[in-house]
Amino acid sequence: MNTLYLEKIINHWAEKYDFEARADRLNRLPHYKTRIQGLDIHFVWAKPEVKGVKPLPLLMLHGWPSSSKEFEKVIPMLTNKRGGYDFVFEVIAPDLPGFGFSEGSNKPGLNPVQIGIIMKNLMRRLGFDKFYVQAGDWGSQTATHMATIFPEDILGFHTNMPLSSMPISFLKIVLGSMVPTLAVDARHVHRIYPLTKLFSYIMRESGYFHIQATKPDTIGVGLTDSPTGLAAYVLEKMGVCSNKEQTDTIHGGLENLELDDVLDTLTIMWANGCVVTSMRIYAEALAGREASVVHNIPTKVPTAAINFLHEVLYQPDWILRDKFHNLVRSTTVEFGGHFAALQTPRELVDDLYASVAQFVVHHRVRT
Amino acid sequence: MDPPPGVPPDNTTPTSLAILRAGGRVFDAVRISKAKMAKLFFVATLIALGAPVYFIFLKSPPPLPEVDLNEWWGPEQLKTKQDTSVRPFKLKFDKVMIKDLKERLKAHRPFVPPLEGVAFEYGFNSKQMSNWINYWAEEYPFEEREKVFNKYPQFKTNIQGLDVHFIRVKPEVPAGVETVPLLLLHGWPGSVREFDAAIPLLTAVSKDRDFALEVIVPSLPGYGYSEASVRPGLGVDKMAVMFRNLMNRLGFKKYYIQGGDWGAVITSNMATMFPEEILGYHSNMAASLTGRTTLINVLGSVYPPLVVKAELADRLYPLSKHFGYLLEETGYLHIQSSKPDTIGVALSDSPSGLLAYILEKFSTWTKPEYKLKADGGLSSSFTREQLIDNLMMYWATNSITTSMRLYSETFNKRYMSLKMDDIPTTVPAWFIQAKNELVYHPGWIMRFKYKNLINETVLENGGHFLAMELPQVFTEDVLKAIAAFRDWHKQNKVKTEL
Repeated sequence: MNTLYLEKIINHWAEKYDFEARADRLNRLPHYKTRIQGLDIHFVWAKPEVKGVKPLPLLMLHGWPSSSKEFEKVIPMLTNKRGGYDFVFEVIAPDLPGFGFSEGSNKPGLNPVQIGIIMKNLMRRLGFDKFYVQAGDWGSQTATHMATIFPEDILGFHTNMPLSSMPISFLKIVLGSMVPTLAVDARHVHRIYPLTKLFSYIMRESGYFHIQATKPDTIGVGLTDSPTGLAAYVLEKMGVCSNKEQTDTIHGGLENLELDDVLDTLTIMWANGCVVTSMRIYAEALAGREASVVHNIPTKVPTAAINFLHEVLYQPDWILRDKFHNLVRSTTVEFGGHFAALQTPRELVDDLYASVAQFVVHHRVRT
Repeated sequence: MDPPPGVPPDNTTPTSLAILRAGGRVFDAVRISKAKMAKLFFVATLIALGAPVYFIFLKSPPPLPEVDLNEWWGPEQLKTKQDTSVRPFKLKFDKVMIKDLKERLKAHRPFVPPLEGVAFEYGFNSKQMSNWINYWAEEYPFEEREKVFNKYPQFKTNIQGLDVHFIRVKPEVPAGVETVPLLLLHGWPGSVREFDAAIPLLTAVSKDRDFALEVIVPSLPGYGYSEASVRPGLGVDKMAVMFRNLMNRLGFKKYYIQGGDWGAVITSNMATMFPEEILGYHSNMAASLTGRTTLINVLGSVYPPLVVKAELADRLYPLSKHFGYLLEETGYLHIQSSKPDTIGVALSDSPSGLLAYILEKFSTWTKPEYKLKADGGLSSSFTREQLIDNLMMYWATNSITTSMRLYSETFNKRYMSLKMDDIPTTVPAWFIQAKNELVYHPGWIMRFKYKNLINETVLENGGHFLAMELPQVFTEDVLKAIAAFRDWHKQNKVKTEL
C-alpha cells in the first residue's frame, strides 16, 4: 500500500464518506437475522416485485474481505423482470459467519465445509429445500462443498471463481506447462503460463493468505485496533485483485472500484470488529483434512463459470470438469476482476441469467 | 466412430490392429541388445550418482559480487555535505510520545476473544492483551529505563548518507591486556536491547584472558535509532558494506564480528566480502540457504545418520515435520518480504498491534512448545521489562515499517541471485546452536562455506534470542571463540613465517 495514496483515502473516509446515507442505502434492501447452529446469521432477503413470473431461490455467497454488501447492486437487477427470461430470482445473500453482521464462532473448526452446512440450514429455515447458488472467493469454496455434499439440493452453481482443487487438476496444470497451447486456449494462455510467472505472482500476493492461515489472531490485534491499518491491509488486496497489472500505479488497482463501495466494505468490517473472525476462515480451511477430502469428490450439479480477466486464479474448462462433471457453461471475458458484483455488476447478472436458463434446460432434459 | 453406448470397446478393430502392427515394426527396428541395455543402465546410474556428487562437492562457487563502498542511501541533496564526524548521542523518550502511547494503549478497541481451548495456536492470545497493556501503560518506568539505556556510551555517525546509531563500550584494561573490537549485530524483531545483559559480561576484564572486548553495538539501518534508507536496495549485502565502513570510521582495520538473526546474515556477508578485515566470525544463527544444502538434506532423509549425528537428528528430520513447522511460522516472513508497507501501517498506528505481532515471536522462537501455554510462555524466559524495552526501540522511533523492509530487500531476485551462501570464506568461524533455534545445519555442511569453521557449540536449551535469554552462556561462548580465533591467527602467522 502506498501510504501517500492511503492518506487521501483516510481523509475521505474521515471527512467526506457519509456514514448515514450509506447505511440508509444498504437498508433499502430487506435485512434479517436468524440463529443457525448457535450463530446469529445476518442476511438480505429480497423477494421479487414481479407478479406472474416464477421466482427461483438464489443463495449468493461473498468472500474475504467482503460481505453481503458486495451484492447490493446486482440484487435489484436479479429481482426485477429481465427481457428474454421467464423467471426472476428471490435472493438470499447472507454474511458468512464471522463476516459482516453475522456472528463468528468461538470454537475452532468452522471451515468452509461447515459453513456450507450452516448455509444449507439457513435456506431450509427460510423454506427452500432446493436452490441455486452464485458465489466467488470463499463463497465459491463454500458453495463448491455444498454442491458436493448436497447435490440433490443445489439446482445449479454459478461461480466467478471456479476452482478444482483435486490433485489431478494440479498435475494437469503442471504437465500443461510443457505445451501450454494444448492445455489452454491460446487467448487465455497468459492467465496460467508461464508457471514461473504465475508462481511469482502468487508468491508476491499471498503473504496475507499465509499469515491469516497461520496467525490470524496475531495480525488481528493491530487490524482491530487501527482503522488506518485495516484500510491499508484490505485496500491493498482489493486493488490488486481488481487489476493485477497496476502495482506500478499509486492506487495499485483500487480505482477500478467505486470509492463508496470500498469504504462500505471497510466500514462494515470496522463497525462489526470482525476482521479476526473473518481471517480465521483461512486457518480453518487449511487445518485438518475435512476440506481436502470434500474437494476430492466430484459433483454432478450443473455448474456455470465466468472467468473475469484479473481473477486471481484461472483453470480451463477441461480441468474444471475434473470436479464439476456437468460444467454446462463457461464464459471467459477480457475485462473485470475478482469483485465482479462491484466492478462489473451488469455483466455478472447477464451471465447469471443465461446460466440459470441453461440449468433449467439441463434439469428438464433429465426428467 | 464411437461404438454405441453400453458396448465395450473392441480392440480387434482394423484400426487397432494396424496400430499394433506398426508399433511392432518400430520396436523390432530399435530392439536393443542385452549388452547395449547394460551399458545404458550403467551410464544412467553414473549420471544419477554423479550429478549430486558434482553438485555437492565439485561445483565451483559463484564470484564475489562487486562492492560499491560509497553507495548512497540518504537524500540526494545531502551527498555533497558528507559529515564524517562521530557524535555522542543520548536517546530520549519524550513526554508527548509517552502520553500518546498511553492513550492509544488505553483507548484500544475491544479485542476479539480467542477460540475455545486455544492458547497461542492461532497467534497471540488476546486474553493476554490486558495484562500487557496495563503493564506498558501503567507500570513500565519510561524515565528510569531511558536513564539505564543512556548509561552505555552511544554515538551517531553518518555512513553513506544514513545516520547510524551505536553503543560503544570500551573497558579499562591493565597493562598486558589487549582490547580487541567486536561488532555485535541484532536482527528482527530485536534491537540493541538484546545485548543489554551481555554487554557488561562481554566487556569484563578477567585474569584468565589476555584480551578484553570493546563492543560496538549498532542499530541496523531502519531499526531503532538508525536512519532508514530513502531508496530501494538496502539488503543485507549492502548493510555489510555499511558496517564495514562504520568499523573503519571508528579506526578499526581488523575486528571480530558476531550476529544473530539478520545480524548473523549481515556478518556472514562481511566475512565473505571483507575477509582481510574480519579476524573472526561468531554466529548464533548459522544458516545456509543453498541448493547444495537442500539437496543434502533431502538425500539425507533416506538415512539421516549420513547427514547428522543421531542425537541431533531431530533438529532436522523428519523433513516433513520441519517443513510444516517452517510453513506455520513464516507467514510474517512472507508478508514482510512482499508487502512490508501494507502491514506496517497497522503496526505503526497501534501499539497493541505492534506488541502482539512482535511478542508472538518472543514466544514461539524461544520455545515452540510455548504456543500451548496460556501466556505464550512469555513470562518463562524474559521479564516484561525486557520485552517492552525492546518494543520501545520500535515504537519510540516509529521504525517498524522500515525494519520490515529488510525482508523485501533481501528476499528478492537481486540478492538471492548473488548466492552469497555459496561463496566460501577463510575467515575463522564459530557457531553456537541453541536447542530451539529456527534452523539447524550440521557443521560439515557449513564447512562448504566456512573453510575454517573451528567449532560448533550445541546447546540443550535456549532459543532464538540467545544473548537476551542466556547472556552468560552466550558471553562464555563468544569469549571462547575469540580466544580460539586469536590462537588460530598466532598459529597461522607462525605457518606463514616458516
